[in-house]
Amino acid sequence: MEWIRIETRDGVTAFLPGETVEGTVGWHFDAPARSVEVRLLWYTEGKGDQDVGVVASVPLANPGADEIRPFQIRLPAGPYSFSGRLISLVWALEAVAEPGSRAERLPITVSPTRQEILLSSGASLAGPG
Amino acid sequence: MRARDNPFAVRRVHAIRYRLSGVTWEELLERLATLGFRAALVGPHGHGKTTLLEDLGARLAERGFQIRTATLRQGERWLGPARSAALFRDPDPRDLLLVDGAEQLDPLSWWTLRLRSRGAAGLIITSHRPGLLPTLHEHRTTPELLAGIVTDLEGTADEGEIAELFARHRGDLRLALRELYDVRSRGVS
Repeated sequence: MEWIRIETRDGVTAFLPGETVEGTVGWHFDAPARSVEVRLLWYTEGKGDQDVGVVASVPLANPGADEIRPFQIRLPAGPYSFSGRLISLVWALEAVAEPGSRAERLPITVSPTRQEILLSSGASLAGPG
Repeated sequence: MRARDNPFAVRRVHAIRYRLSGVTWEELLERLATLGFRAALVGPHGHGKTTLLEDLGARLAERGFQIRTATLRQGERWLGPARSAALFRDPDPRDLLLVDGAEQLDPLSWWTLRLRSRGAAGLIITSHRPGLLPTLHEHRTTPELLAGIVTDLEGTADEGEIAELFARHRGDLRLALRELYDVRSRGVS
């Protein structure tokens, strides 16, 4: 059975803005993938249509059919992970292989407190600058 | 309740697929074939026409058609360059055009769409009123349908709440589900 998985080092999924995320991508396909890349993205969830922003992508050179590879991605300064009643902003790491757009997504938290900002608490969402 | 935990968040609602009633997918596709793959999905706002169009497109793609889509938002009266390109650039005889909201096109734009679609394998539209093309399927929602969707999203459905919502929104499931989003976000169950 074919699969693709993404994991962070020690299973940590809460980070500070600007921190570097380290992890591994593993996959098993029937044939070598044409491409495998790791993406850092955010997406919205809630009452409105979903919005997605891919902030960074790290292609893995010459992927085979069955491998485990390390990756590193530097997180931006913002926006922070947050949730209100109408909208949540969620950060995630995603491993994508072509052909077939086989993918696995791993949600992570990015904020100065390493916890999602809850808007009802009155906390500020503004990043530096 | 956090937006991402709300069972009626748009992503979750959009994942609900169309539930055919009184006809099977095979029967619907056979009927579409007898209409020469030129037909309309007819029904009021929020009754599932867009969802059915998407699900029909997926099944037709499995059968070898190349699906090309265009969606007109409320008030848009013509296709414009981007949507025209999506429908007509590099045409192929296997192209099957799906146009959501076609009844909004002004008469010239509708005539142009029909003319330019002649080389395609077919044209399926959604419309609030019959008459533009032969009706493939006429949509009517029911409280039972709303209850089924709510159960899928939330695990349970209150009969009284469903009946009230359905009546207040006159069968518009989109509005009913949006109201449920607001209600749940305020922590009311």
